Amino acid sequence: MSVSIHWVRTTGPLISRIIAALFGGYAVAALASVAVLALPMSKPQAVLTGMLASFIVYACAVIWVFAVRSATKAWLGLLVVAAVLLPGAWSVW
Amino acid sequence: MIHVATLALCLAGFAALAFATRRQQREFLGGPLQPAATYALRAIGTCALLIALGILVAWQGWGLGLVMFSGHTSFAAGIVFCTLIGYARREARTLQRR
Amino acid sequence: MKTDRNPQPAGQGIRQSMSSLHTWAGLLLGWVLYSMFLTGTVSYFKDELSQWARPELAHLSQVPDQAVVAQRVADEFSRMDGGVSQWSMRLPDARNNSVYAFWRTSARVPGQRGFAEANFDPATGHKVASRDTLGGEFFYRYHFQFHYMPVVWGRWLAGIAAMFMLVAIISGVITHKKIFVDFFTFRWRKGQRSWLDAHNTLSVFGLPFHAMITYSGLVTLMALYMPWGERAAFKAPAERAQLAAELSAFVPPGKPSGQKAPMASVEDMVRQAQERWGRDDVGRVNAVHPGDAAARVVVVRGLLGRVSMSPQYMEFEGTTGKLLNVRESVGPAAETRGVFYALHLGRFSDVVTRWLYFLVSAMGTAMVGTGLVMWTVKRREKLPNPDRPYFGFRLVERLNIASIAGLSLAMTSFLWANRLLPSSLDGRANWEIHVFFIVWALALLHALVRPAKAAWVEQLWAASALLFLLPVLNALTTQRPLWHSLAVGDWVFAGIDIMCWVLAGFHAVLALRTARQQAGFRSARKASRRAPIAVAAGGGAE
Repeated sequence: MSVSIHWVRTTGPLISRIIAALFGGYAVAALASVAVLALPMSKPQAVLTGMLASFIVYACAVIWVFAVRSATKAWLGLLVVAAVLLPGAWSVW
Repeated sequence: MIHVATLALCLAGFAALAFATRRQQREFLGGPLQPAATYALRAIGTCALLIALGILVAWQGWGLGLVMFSGHTSFAAGIVFCTLIGYARREARTLQRR
Repeated sequence: MKTDRNPQPAGQGIRQSMSSLHTWAGLLLGWVLYSMFLTGTVSYFKDELSQWARPELAHLSQVPDQAVVAQRVADEFSRMDGGVSQWSMRLPDARNNSVYAFWRTSARVPGQRGFAEANFDPATGHKVASRDTLGGEFFYRYHFQFHYMPVVWGRWLAGIAAMFMLVAIISGVITHKKIFVDFFTFRWRKGQRSWLDAHNTLSVFGLPFHAMITYSGLVTLMALYMPWGERAAFKAPAERAQLAAELSAFVPPGKPSGQKAPMASVEDMVRQAQERWGRDDVGRVNAVHPGDAAARVVVVRGLLGRVSMSPQYMEFEGTTGKLLNVRESVGPAAETRGVFYALHLGRFSDVVTRWLYFLVSAMGTAMVGTGLVMWTVKRREKLPNPDRPYFGFRLVERLNIASIAGLSLAMTSFLWANRLLPSSLDGRANWEIHVFFIVWALALLHALVRPAKAAWVEQLWAASALLFLLPVLNALTTQRPLWHSLAVGDWVFAGIDIMCWVLAGFHAVLALRTARQQAGFRSARKASRRAPIAVAAGGGAE
């Protein structure tokens, strides 16, 4: 019983980070690509700019998730960025 | 022909920059050079690279010129680097044998 | 969500975490990435490989007049049975000695796709009589969509691998943060560190290229990977079409009028394009509803004069030849995407630039390969029992052999199949591809069955032998042996034959060094095992 708790304590945060990186990162990048539409530029150019920039956003999110000290901080960072982008994305959806 | 000339310039440029570092000066020349000589090597190296860039841009415009410059510098840096390593390894082996 | 009561162990700084991230990001999809890199590297010469794969087509020492060729093939289409509702042809150029075209047939026979492709002879306009093969296109298509799977899945896999690569590059740079200082003060370390040095060297030099190629690769398929902005912004098809116009020269066909009308001179249309862009720089000619009163012809600019794939074209009215529209610029984001796309494909290159692309890309391939091998080398020392390594180690070790040495074998076998499979074989082009995968699977089996060192050496020698014998096979099975190609100045055939020998030599050197290194390694390990005993004995004696 204690062995499995130990396993969860040591591997849990890692799995949490992996999920944050793979899916949280994609979500933040996708949000960013939509939020760009709120900027004052022509629609086709905004759409393309969002796509072009999304990959570096995704990569930076992944780096962030593994660079910070705890899995909690990793998720918090992603959620903060998502919260900032959400109004912009919501307004154009 | 222009490609040959620019590659030669890039090789010379990187060689000069390499010899402007203390490590290579120690390995190949026995000791650090005078500061003036080091600055001169850096200046010559940088100029050679910039001239290479200028030639390529003048020949093919900024788009193609920059891409060709990137290719030439990657390749030239690789050659200089591998030559330095090869030389150092040979030196180490002859030292071992003595 | 369980809160994290276990933050990173004290002292594990960013360099350590990035080092782990780099290892995992590189390792998990490293084998996929290696195959993408190698097929991508080879694809810089895909047109030349395609020529080599069709030895029945004569070498063209001069590019034929593109306007005349366009007219010939357009006439061929107008004579086609069943009518053609849309066609698109890629004109011959310095690297392509035939016209590659695809088209939609008007009459839809149930069960048929209604879409066909073929190569046409520029001298006659008729379909070429050459063996059914994909040639260099196979390696190119594998590179971004693999095979035996729906193309969308393949492209997704390629995209995921590319993201792993991007993360590996960034984490690699952060880990090796003294990268710029180290540049010329690097010292070559002996023994097990030499793999790390090779990996670092190859990564650093090519860093601008590797970063560019990875990001631009993602950009080429960005509409697939990140469709959300487009979905949010454009609800109507007309708006979507506006976006599409920024990205490609495809002019959506309107409705046909139903009345037949002969097409105006395609040759004249291409001539106007030649005046605008240069004699040999017309890329494609597309037609919708040819032979109908509502026909449109679009002549698209070639890729030599500029570093961008953004659409530049001239649109003509099909029946009269009147110039309706010239498109020569797109918006800034679209142009940025066009530049990224062009940088990835490198089709603007002259011969020297193309070779530079090939060499630096080969360095990238070696970077991925050395990384994969280094993983096993570093961990082999730490194995408690080197004769029975743990499952993960065995898995990586065997996959390395099959995906690195095995891939060289498989790619060369594809070319062998091109020369050996009979022309009359049904689905010949697909069989060449099956041979590629069969050999690759056999290589995996060989890697699982043989001891690791033997498997490496044997596969590398086999690849070397196949590469060396390929020009011999070419001489025996075609009319275009190396001496003939050199005599007539056919540098495509001669170049490929010679490169086969260069690569054969390269694989032989690798095989020799692997055989030698493993032996040297064993004795180093034995020495280190004796040393602790000596120390203990010495310590005990004090």
